[in-house]
Amino acid sequence: MDINPKVGIICCSGEEIPAGTVSRLAVRRVLEVLRPDRTVTLCLPLFLAGGEEEREFARRHPTISVDGCGKLCAKRGTEMYSGTVAVSLDVAEILGDQYPDLHRSTRQKSLDDKAAVWLVAERIAVEVDRLLGGDSPVTETSDQAATAGCACSQPAPAMNLEIHGQPVPVNGLAMIFEHLRDRGVAPTEDSGEALLETVRIYHPVPEEESGLYREALLRAYQHFWRMT
Amino acid sequence: MTEKVPKKLVVPCSGIGKVHGLLGREAMLELVERQHPGDFDTVCLALLVVGDPETNAKIQQQPCITVDGCPKACAKKNVELAGGTVEHALWVVGALKRHRGVNAGTGTALSDDGWEIAAEIAGDIAAGCPDAGKKE
Repeated sequence: MDINPKVGIICCSGEEIPAGTVSRLAVRRVLEVLRPDRTVTLCLPLFLAGGEEEREFARRHPTISVDGCGKLCAKRGTEMYSGTVAVSLDVAEILGDQYPDLHRSTRQKSLDDKAAVWLVAERIAVEVDRLLGGDSPVTETSDQAATAGCACSQPAPAMNLEIHGQPVPVNGLAMIFEHLRDRGVAPTEDSGEALLETVRIYHPVPEEESGLYREALLRAYQHFWRMT
Repeated sequence: MTEKVPKKLVVPCSGIGKVHGLLGREAMLELVERQHPGDFDTVCLALLVVGDPETNAKIQQQPCITVDGCPKACAKKNVELAGGTVEHALWVVGALKRHRGVNAGTGTALSDDGWEIAAEIAGDIAAGCPDAGKKE
C-alpha cells in the first residue's frame, strides 16, 4: 500500500488553442507551487510513445485530467491507454467567457492569461485535496521531482518569512506576490490581511501566529515591490 | 496560375516536465504566429493521441516537422502512428548543444536566452534544413 499517495495530473497542452496553454501552465503551477508534495504528472503523448510503465500511471494514481476544450483529449487519452480518471476538468468550461484576452504563447502574457492560470490552478488544487481526503496543504519544501516518467518539474524555489526569528519557507511566495501586484494590491498596511488570506490558501498558518505572519508578509511584500 | 502549396505542420511535443518541451512549443508558435504564419501551421498533439479522424487526415495530407524535447520522441512517434510523413525531426537537445551552459529557463517560463534559442529553432525549421537540431 502506498503510504504517501499522490494525485496524478494529465493535461492536454493543446497547441492550437490558448486554453491549451492555460491547462499546461495551471498544472505546472500546482506541481511547483500549490501542491508540490502531493502531485505528479506525465506527458499525455507518452501513453502512446512510451511503454507499460507510463501506461500504468492512472492505475497507480487517482488522476485528474485537465483539458483545454470539450474534446477532452487528456481524459479520453488517459482512459484509452491507462485507466479511468477520477476528475475531469475542462478549462473552457471553468473560464467561461470571463477572460477573452488569452494567448497561446507565454511571450504575450496578459492579465487575463495570468488570472486564468490562477483560477484553473486553484480549482485543480481543490480537487487534489478532495481526492486525498481534504487534508491541509503540506508545508515542507520537497527536493524531489514531482513527476513520473520523463517529466521532472521541481517545486518553485521557496522564499523565507522570518517567524519567531526562524526562517519559514513558503513555496512560490514570489509568484503569489507577483499575482497580487498585478491585481493592484499596494504594499500598504491595509494590505496585510489580503496578503495573509491569500498565502493561507497555499500555506498553513496557525491562528495564534496570524499577526506574526501578517507583519512578515507585509515586510516581504514591500521589499518585493522595491526590488521589482 | 500557381498551385497553392499546403502549409507544413509543425508538431512539438510540448513536454511538460522540462524547459525542452516549452522551447519546442514556443519555437512552433514563433513560426506560426510571428515569422511565417502563411507557411506553417500546427495541430494539437493530444488530438493525435486520441486518434481524432479530422486531425489524422490533416496529418496524412500535409508534410510534418516534429520538435521533440527528449529521446522518447513523442511528437515524431505520434505523427508516424497517425500515418503522417515526418519531413524533418528536430531535437531541442541538438539546438541546446550550440548554447552549452546557457540557462534557457524552466518548463513554465523561458529566460531571455531561452527566447533566443526558441527563435533560432524556428529559424532552423523555416530554413528547411535543420541539421543543427538533428539527434546524435
